[in-house]
Parts: sequence; structure tokens; C-alpha cells
Amino acid sequence: MTTNTAGTPGRFDTSTSRVVVAGVALAVCIVLLMFVISTSMMQEVMGYSQRIEARVPTFFVRMAALVAAIVAAFYMITGLSWYKRNKVAIAPWLFLAIGLAFFMVYVIVPIFQSVSYSFTKWNGLYDIDGVWTGTWVGLHNYKVLLDDPNFYTSLWNNLLWLVLFMLAVPVGLFIALFLNQTVTGIRIYKSLFFFPFVISQVVVGLIFAWAYNPEFGLLSEIWSWFFCETKPNFMGNMTRVCSVDPPSILGDEVYATYGVIAAGLWPQVAYCMILYLTGLNNVSTELIEAARLDGAKGWKMLWHVVLPQLKPATFIAIIVTVIGALRSFDMVATMTRGGPFGSTNVLAYYMYDQAVGEGVGRYGYGSAIATVLFVIMLVYISYFLWRMYQDEVEAR
Amino acid sequence: MFPKPVENRSVLVRLLYKLSLPVALFVWLLPLLAIFMTSIRPASDIATGNVFGIPSTFQMLQNYAEVFAKTDALKYLTNTMLIALPTMVVSVALACLTGYALAIYKFKWALPLFFLFVAGNFVPFQILMLPVVDMSNRLEIFNTVPGLVMFHAAFQTGFCTLFMRNFMKALPFELIESARLEGVDEFKIFWHLVLPLVKPAIAALCVLIFTFIWNDFFWATVLLSDDKSLPITVGVRTLNGEFVQQWHLVSAASLLAAVPPVLMFFIMQKHFIAGLTLGATKG
Repeated sequence: MTTNTAGTPGRFDTSTSRVVVAGVALAVCIVLLMFVISTSMMQEVMGYSQRIEARVPTFFVRMAALVAAIVAAFYMITGLSWYKRNKVAIAPWLFLAIGLAFFMVYVIVPIFQSVSYSFTKWNGLYDIDGVWTGTWVGLHNYKVLLDDPNFYTSLWNNLLWLVLFMLAVPVGLFIALFLNQTVTGIRIYKSLFFFPFVISQVVVGLIFAWAYNPEFGLLSEIWSWFFCETKPNFMGNMTRVCSVDPPSILGDEVYATYGVIAAGLWPQVAYCMILYLTGLNNVSTELIEAARLDGAKGWKMLWHVVLPQLKPATFIAIIVTVIGALRSFDMVATMTRGGPFGSTNVLAYYMYDQAVGEGVGRYGYGSAIATVLFVIMLVYISYFLWRMYQDEVEAR
Repeated sequence: MFPKPVENRSVLVRLLYKLSLPVALFVWLLPLLAIFMTSIRPASDIATGNVFGIPSTFQMLQNYAEVFAKTDALKYLTNTMLIALPTMVVSVALACLTGYALAIYKFKWALPLFFLFVAGNFVPFQILMLPVVDMSNRLEIFNTVPGLVMFHAAFQTGFCTLFMRNFMKALPFELIESARLEGVDEFKIFWHLVLPLVKPAIAALCVLIFTFIWNDFFWATVLLSDDKSLPITVGVRTLNGEFVQQWHLVSAASLLAAVPPVLMFFIMQKHFIAGLTLGATKG
């Protein structure tokens, strides 16, 4: 089934004219890409004096040439008799080519580049001749990391995120169970409960930063029901007097991280809920009825009959929650920017801060932090892939 | 069905359940409701401490109009569109191709390459950040919208491939087999046979990728620094810094940033959830 040897010989001949035309087109595109567009000539032709303004139009011309080159290459290859003879072996690579190349260049290769940066001291710049200005320092960055109290704070906070974020899974399950009914309008309730996940994390961060505000936030309002009363002051104006002042959660070194995590949990619970709702939809009714006849109900039913059937949902929920916890950048950036005094830093934010933020240009050190984060993530990625591999083997 | 349907229970339980639904929803969405209330009241209310009561005047239109008039919100929203839509098109198109290759052809590299896409999809952004910045700089597309789109499209191809491949794997393989036996070209099988069958998957992916990119904050802060090309997420945070004592405007702007993904979610709900819960029902 790999080769197509049967059939009339003429059908598999190279379509000469097609290959020649496509080949010429391909060559033209490559020459264009290599010699014309990459020089400043392009910018002069288009009448731009400043490089920065020429970048976007130049980019589009380059992309056009690239796309034309790809089309020409495809046309050429599919015209060859070699392709026609080995269709099933070659076709997948043609389908893969663009996506894979793109993904390699932007995702896979940068991982290795980042790891290699972590052994250097570099500020991200090149000298005027385009020569790299960094120096190779071996394991120095990692040694510095081990003596950096901020690194330990970030690592500890990442651990807190991981542990507390796991709450999203049972809470999500609980809400899903609560909503798994068929009363009228329940679909609207389900979508409204899912709402927080659709909103940008930046907006969630802003909402919670405001809710935590000790002067006029939501929390201080609830606080005042218990600890405050409104009395006229000596000027006669009504003012709020509290027996215990409302806490400034994001301004407090101890509570700030918990405050940020709580905000992050809100959308994450929604996500876990929707995973479980879908899972509950597919729970076998017969099994539950059978168990019910055997007298199982409540917790017992949940633990022994329903949860085993929800295993795939639980697996996905845990994986996305772990990844969400380790990717916690947006929340920290909008709510605290790592403060107060670095107490809410997580590896993701600390890396950003060191590389392009406050520490400007510590590319090597930032990469070392990123590598540590990557290694932690790799544990989960490997576990996920291993599980997927098991399923693939089973499915065969 | 678990838990036991409330219809089979006493009237009291049913009533309690129906009453508890709106209460629970109210508590769950309280932060959102509160910020909405803030966004429709005049600034004077907040100054005098009327943050949660009935607004002294309803200023919904004025406040939101003020956001557009006083800030670059409109530009930010357009920029986000310019980033999200091309990314969506490119990554979904590429994933149709890669997903097809990985699902339909049984070659030695199919599984390892599939795992490569899956693994890449889960890596922390920070490990990609500096090389991507460096590369964008050298390609002279740093700090431009197309530069950001290129990265997003490449990265999202990972997730889309995961999704597409699994979806196509579930298609009846005999269909493709018989088309091949009839001598139909591989690309024609893809275009005329498989693509129409995966339309639901394409719809689901489009909704998801649009929402993901709309809500992206990290890459926009890293790859764009020019105020002219910032998307709404970064814009809103900038506004937060500028309008320190004008919470009614900040909250209006935040809610504006949330409107398009929310609309998208409500219109395309079925596809959206199908996309997110991929794999949650089967192994």
C-alpha cells in the first residue's frame, strides 16, 4: 500500500512542463527572498527612509514571496514521477512541512536556545557588526540562583500556586454536581457559571485588585458589615469607624500571594466545572441505576460509581490546572507586579522581571530561571505524554 | 443521572433547589456584578462612599462614551482584532494540514511528531520569550503586529494540531481508503472529502483561538512596546495606571475588553465547550 506500482506507465511520468514552470517560479522566489528583500533596496524602492516604518510593508512582501515559493515547490514536487510513485510515503511530509517548520522555528528551537542562553552572561544586544556580545559563563547563573532569596520566594510561591490551585478540581466538581440537573433555564445557569473563564485574566486581575481595595473594595464592604459602623465624626460628617481595620490584602507581604491565587482560582474553577459537566453527561445511566438498586447513594455512589467514570475529566482537569498554576503570569503582573517587596513573585514573573523588566537585560540569568520553570513543567508534560502514549497503544 | 434529579424529589427540595440557583449565581458572579455597578455610576458616588448601593444617577452611556473619548480604547480594540483574526486563520489552516498528516497516514514519525506538537503546546512561555524576541529583532518584525501574529500562529498550531489530529482520527478510515483505491489524489481527498467532514472542529478551533489570542497579555507585552500597536489587554492595564482615582472608567474599560470573547462564547457556545473539553469524555 506504500507504492502504487500498478497502472499504466504513462500516468506516472513526470509532467515536464509543470515541473519546469514551477521550478523557475521557485527559483525566482528564492532569489527574491535572498537578495532583493533582505537588503535595504526594498526600503528604498518603497520610498521609506526610516527602517522602522519600512518593516511592516517589507514583511508583507517577504511573506508574499515565501508563500509563492511554497506553492511553487508543492507544484513542482507533485509533478514529479517520484512523488507519484511514492505518494502515500511523501504526502504526509508535504502536509506537515509548513506547520512543522513554523512550529520548530518558533517553539521547539527556542527551548534549546533558552537553555543555552542560561550558560551565558548577555544583555540581549549585538555590537555594530552584528556580533553577539555575551560571554560564556558555564554554571555561574545557576550558582547565583541558589543564593538568590527572590528565587526561593518565587519557587515557594509556585509551590503554593500548585497546591492551592488544585482546589479548583474538587470545587469545580462540586459546582458541576450542583448544576447537573434538568430544571428549566439550567443551561443559562451553566453558561453564566462558566463566565469567568471567558474573561481575560488581566480583567479578572483588575476586578479582584479592586475587590481587595481596603478603602472602597468589595471585601472592605463585606468587612464593614461585621466590624464597622457609620458614625458622625466631630465635624458632623458621616464616617466609617471600624473596630478592626479592613486588611489590605495585596499590600500585605503575607496575604498578597493568597489573594492573587484566589483570583486565579475563580476562572480555573469554572474551567474544571465545565470539564466535569461534560463528563457527567457521558456517565452511564445504567451503571448508576444498577448501583442505586444495590442501595448506593450520596458519597458512596459518587466515590465508587461516578468518579471512576469521570477519570478522563479529572485527568484533563488536573493537567490544565497544573499548567495554569505554573503559567501564572498575567495575574501577578496585573495585581501586584511581584510586590510588595517581591513577596508575590512566581518564577514566570521573576524571569520576566529579570530579563526585560527591572533588572533590564539579564538574559542569561532570566534564561536560567526559565529553564528551572521548564524543568518543573517537563515533569507534567512527560506524565501527560506517557498517559497519551498508553491510550494510543490501547487504541491500536 | 447523578446526582438524583430534583424532579424525582419532594416539592420542597425542588423549590429549594430552584431558589438556591440564583443565589449561588449571584455569589459566584459578585465581583463581576460589583464592577459592572461601578462602571455605570458617576465618579462622585465612589468619592462619597456609595460604591455598592443604587447609583445616584445611571451613567452607563456617559461612562462608556467617556472611555472611548478619553482613551485609545477603540484603537486597542482594533489592534486586538488585527492580531486575533489573522492568527486564527493561519493556525487553524496549518493545523488542518498537520492534523491530516498525523491522523491519516501511518508512518513511523506520526506519533513522535504528534507528541512534539503536544509537548510544545504546554511549555511555559518564559522559556520561549528571549529567543523569540531575539529572532523577531533579527527578522526586523519586533514591535510590529505581524511579528506578534507570526509567533501566536506558530504557537497555537500546537494546540490546533492536537485537536485536529484527534478529531480526524475518529473519522471512518475506510472512506479515505476507498477513495485512494479509486486513484483520487491525496490532496483531493483532503480537500473534497476530509475538510467538509471536519467543519465542526474548524468552528470550535476558531472560537477557541480567537478567545485565547484576544485574552493574551504576556506576548503582547513582550513583543510589542509601541503604544500604537498595543492590544486591549495591555491597554486596559495601562489605563489602570493612568486613571488611578477614576475607578468608574477603569471598570468600564475592563468590561469592554471582556465583551467580544463573551459574545463569541454565547454565540458559539456548543463549539466552544466542545473545544475545551476535548478528551475529557474519552481516554
